[in-house]
Amino acid sequence: MAEHRLLTKNFGTEGLQTLAVYERLGGYQGLREAFQRFTPETLVDEVKASGLRGRGGAGFPTGMKWGFLPKDVFPRYLCCNADESEPGCFKDRKLIDENPHQLIEGLLIAAYALQVNVAFIYIRGEYFDQRLLLERCVEEARAAGHIGTDIHGSGFSCDVIVHGGAGAYICGEETALIDSLEGYRGQPRLKPPFPAIKGLYGKPTVVNNVETLSNLPHIVQRGGAWFKSIGTEKSAGTRLFCCSGHINRPGTYEMAMGTPIRELLEEECGGMWKDRSLKAFQPGGGSMQVLLPQHLDLALDMDAVQQAGSSLGAGAMVFMDETTCMVNVSMRLVDFYHHESCGKCAPCREGTYFESDLMHRLEAGACTSEELNTLADICDNMNGKCFCPLGDTATWFVMSAYKAFREEFDAHCGAGSCPVRSGAAQLVTA
Amino acid sequence: MLGAATRKEITALRDRYPHPRSAILPCLWAVQNEQGFLTVEGMTEVAEILHLAPSEVQAVSTFYSMYFQKPAGAHHVLICVNVSCALRGADDIVGHVERRLACPSGGTTADGAFTWESTVECLGACGGAPAMQVDHHFHENLTPDAVDALLDRLRSVPGAHAGAGAPPSGPHPPTAETPPLATAEGPPADDGRARAAGEVVAAPPTERAEMTGPRTGTTANPRGPRSKPRRRPRPSADDL
Amino acid sequence: MAADASPPTGADDGLVGITIDGKSTRVPKGSLVTDVATELGIHIPIYCSHPKMDPVAVCRMCLVHVEKMPKLQPACATYAADGMVVDTQRADVTKTREGMLEFLLLNHPLDCPVCDRGGECDLQDFAFRYGPPSSRFPITDKRHFNKAVVLSDRIELDQERCILCWRCTRYYDEITGEKELVLQERGVHTLINTFDGQPLTSVFQGNLPEICPVGALTHRQYRFKARPWDLQRAKSVCPECSYGCNINVDTRDFEVRRFASRDNPQVDDMWLCDRGRYSAESWNNVDRVRRPAVRRDGTVRDVSVSEAISSAARSLREVLDSSGAGSIAVMGSAQNTNEELWLLQRLARDVLGTPHIDHQLESFPGIGPAEHALAIADVEECSAVVVLGAEPEHEAPVLTLRLRKAATKRGVSVYRIDHDAGAEAIGELPAQGVIGVIADETHRDHAARLCAELGRSHDVRRLTITREVNGRGAKDVGVLPNSGPGYAGVGAGGKAGREILEAAAAGAIRALVVMGGSLWAGGAAELVERAAAKLDVLVVIDTRPGPLSRAATVLIPGHAYFEKAGTVTNTEGRVQRLRAALPPATQTPTETRVLSALAAELGAAGWPADPLHVHRELVAAIPAYGLAGNGGRADFLVAATA
Repeated sequence: MAEHRLLTKNFGTEGLQTLAVYERLGGYQGLREAFQRFTPETLVDEVKASGLRGRGGAGFPTGMKWGFLPKDVFPRYLCCNADESEPGCFKDRKLIDENPHQLIEGLLIAAYALQVNVAFIYIRGEYFDQRLLLERCVEEARAAGHIGTDIHGSGFSCDVIVHGGAGAYICGEETALIDSLEGYRGQPRLKPPFPAIKGLYGKPTVVNNVETLSNLPHIVQRGGAWFKSIGTEKSAGTRLFCCSGHINRPGTYEMAMGTPIRELLEEECGGMWKDRSLKAFQPGGGSMQVLLPQHLDLALDMDAVQQAGSSLGAGAMVFMDETTCMVNVSMRLVDFYHHESCGKCAPCREGTYFESDLMHRLEAGACTSEELNTLADICDNMNGKCFCPLGDTATWFVMSAYKAFREEFDAHCGAGSCPVRSGAAQLVTA
Repeated sequence: MLGAATRKEITALRDRYPHPRSAILPCLWAVQNEQGFLTVEGMTEVAEILHLAPSEVQAVSTFYSMYFQKPAGAHHVLICVNVSCALRGADDIVGHVERRLACPSGGTTADGAFTWESTVECLGACGGAPAMQVDHHFHENLTPDAVDALLDRLRSVPGAHAGAGAPPSGPHPPTAETPPLATAEGPPADDGRARAAGEVVAAPPTERAEMTGPRTGTTANPRGPRSKPRRRPRPSADDL
Repeated sequence: MAADASPPTGADDGLVGITIDGKSTRVPKGSLVTDVATELGIHIPIYCSHPKMDPVAVCRMCLVHVEKMPKLQPACATYAADGMVVDTQRADVTKTREGMLEFLLLNHPLDCPVCDRGGECDLQDFAFRYGPPSSRFPITDKRHFNKAVVLSDRIELDQERCILCWRCTRYYDEITGEKELVLQERGVHTLINTFDGQPLTSVFQGNLPEICPVGALTHRQYRFKARPWDLQRAKSVCPECSYGCNINVDTRDFEVRRFASRDNPQVDDMWLCDRGRYSAESWNNVDRVRRPAVRRDGTVRDVSVSEAISSAARSLREVLDSSGAGSIAVMGSAQNTNEELWLLQRLARDVLGTPHIDHQLESFPGIGPAEHALAIADVEECSAVVVLGAEPEHEAPVLTLRLRKAATKRGVSVYRIDHDAGAEAIGELPAQGVIGVIADETHRDHAARLCAELGRSHDVRRLTITREVNGRGAKDVGVLPNSGPGYAGVGAGGKAGREILEAAAAGAIRALVVMGGSLWAGGAAELVERAAAKLDVLVVIDTRPGPLSRAATVLIPGHAYFEKAGTVTNTEGRVQRLRAALPPATQTPTETRVLSALAAELGAAGWPADPLHVHRELVAAIPAYGLAGNGGRADFLVAATA
């Protein structure tokens, strides 16, 4: 619905990626208003009042995160987390492809609120063209005086550095992002100290997601109270949901929080393809627990989905039809975590390897049912014991699928091949 | 020795960041853009310019998926087989490519035109699944025919990793001119970089495409010893 | 757990109350839970945690339950907070430990039968104590890496055995700063390696196998030589330099197999240098002087030790009566124990009456106790330290690690300048705090000048790095021509080392008693031979054959450094005990007994003979040594005012 198109409002406008078109449509007005109507402190309060929650997966209230910075410690740093690598997630790429200046403006507004003079955009290495686009836009913004010294006479100075990664999912974790940005291997760090106290280069640091920052120009111009009025009590505003899988119209859709998931599936995504029925879906990317058709009536609300045993996470919805083998899906996800495990802690490094080994044999029908018990025990030994959430989330989907599709997992044991699709290790296509 | 333009770029990158060490990743891209992969000399020079030990640079470089530790083909093809792509036929595409290019995932074609691999690392193209990247550019909604057309077209195009047209590797300095691009020398020949070949330690015999540590031969996956979802031989029920 | 097991709280004294498994204690704020557990006698297994390195919490073995925290916490990275209650015995904790061990053993090769670490391996020990009886992982699917990678002539790496505790990479980063070993690759394919497979060049490599909890890093020198239960272990002090690193000497079948660190935070701080560590096997199979002998009229005759001592006494008495005390000289060495040197200087001064006594060829005039006012550990408390030249760290390499620790962890500014540079070469020094100045023996004068210059505006403390393991002890007990025991004055004084030999070669000195001289004789062989040719009496008590033993008129076999008990004093004045690690290679009694018997033959009966009693006499005569006790520093400035 039109009033719920905030972030995607101008998508598709020719030349939106250029400064001229962006400004013609009102771009960088939010930045000017931030200077004119807010001090850094009142701006932080406004964002707190908006109820904006992080859009990267954890959903932590943004204003509260900003409030953790110690008052008198400088310099501070702001990092935009554009390392989007969660399976099923592509909204940040969409935001950058379609409206890069919206992100840059949001970044600068956040920098002003946090009194940050050097802001980074850490973008995953695979988003190669997106990085070049952002760099070009940063230079455009700089030339127009939105970036630099004493911006628009505000007394506030800020530089923006676009920094490309080189292929590591773990760098999306905030302390690993900081580790990578400092020039190390990109592995998570001990907390405490928390980044807000001691982050990049040992200084107070805030890491915010692309979508989170992209909301800021709108919150500044229309007010935190307005933003809070959209969505639900605990999940304010709109969110982008990336929909993929066995649906008619895969893509990114901006939805007001609180909308039933069914509406997203049937109206925006055009429902399940090929007249097939939904077997299961992931509501929040590869890390989150599987949900079933009965959960379609849940609202797109962080707490509602959490109570149902999963999470909206990074807003990546993957829908699977009745021909899908849940063991095969679990296997692929386990392989993903095994491949992306940074190797720092023993339970994740070895546990994902163990999981992967088991899941491949299970998928091929070469496991015993005793080994299924082993799988559950391995996951129990990993969950909550790893250095960072990657190792924990490596167990969530497979354990939830095991619980929800117990017979299917059991049927694989000793079957000699996948009983769902008898034979090939491929997930079904046509 | 790295070319003058690359050294200049690396120095500019170093000076761009609050701390020189932060420039490691874009500096490594600069080396790979010029030389086709991360040479020992290239990493040593980066270390020297950034005031680091070469071991620290190599430690960082081997952590990330996108760097090549060995020479690679002119074009790099990366096909996603994570859930969303797999749900829409990625495995078919992988099988097709494997047959067309006649080499397994992680390998380079005989004519050196392509290095390809399937990856579980979600590329962020789930809305256009199945998808792949060729030389870091997205190609979505793939069909075997579309893939064929693309590969045929690329076969005659020089590589993007080395040579003219290689894009700059890191954040642009705010006031300096865009650093000049890498030279058109192309990637060094395999035998020139067979540094590890003389030091191969016999790996324990295995039937799998097992990594044997850093001292592997030049035919190994250019990403280094780490391989993609490994295809384990499927034990039959009798084996268990 | 008892209902009243909550920890005491309150009182803002910098302490916090914490309870572990029902045992309560109060500890300083900032204490790690692992350290508190150790104090309470509760064992928490660890791999990545190391007492000298910052916590990383990667192995997850130390996960424990902390009340009010939803997830298990790594004890090695959790700081004690007031009122904290920790449980290490709950079912979820013990299950987790078992699970972590299964993970660590997942890809670990079954190498125990051929792995040097077996028998002193934490992985074996904790697997046995806390781990699962077997692995559920198919053995065919273990990942493989290179084994027996030769990293240098000293160290071998088995990449498969590595459990990625990060100790070796952190050691190279935090402790030595050389960064030779790093992590490479990612995930389960992570391994330890050098840059481009290049060899290790550090002079501190030998610490790697000790910090490695498994058999991934091993000593090539020790490879396949012994199992730990085959070894006999004795506590001693490394003989290679004056720093005095505490070691364990491990022997098997009466041969030294290796040195191991013995962690003295005041001295070595758990680190040994390669020169010292790998000198271990050089103490085996050495050509030795085995039997007492007497030379008369050109012929050498094997005799009993009592006959040798009598002969020595007679010939010394004859020279004393005919030419006077001034024609006799006595030389020791810096590798003898304090007890031996103490009796030697008593022989010279109390019995023979000669002022000509020294322990090395290089002269060493005018030592003062203030010259050793800076203790090794105090380096960390200075605001700045100035090192003159490369020699101090070349002679005592472990000093480099202490300086680095002071600089990186304690904020001490460390300056390295040329010997003859003045204060202007240093620049701005902090106004507050102590400035340390370190030089070697040869450059004492430069150090003295610098200290005088700096002392005008700063509180300066000096440390001279003396030569050899007991050069300092030799000076303290007065084996010097111009300084008596405890640096007491000796009147006019006598000839110094090289002068003694010159005088002997010229015939002015007719009798020379030398103990342990093979240490320095090789470096002045020509002079020694000339002196020996001219001397009428040459009494040699020594271990190794050489110019002295060949020319001796009386030769008495000595005991090697590892065959005796006694004390040696390191460069900062710390009096440390040696214990015998090997049985003697000769039937002759030890040096203190020989000297005591010789004195008796010369008319001075009743001297103490065994090292323990000699030590007591020494300590009574030199108050600073009495105050030092066992392992403390002899501080002559303090003793003077005590």
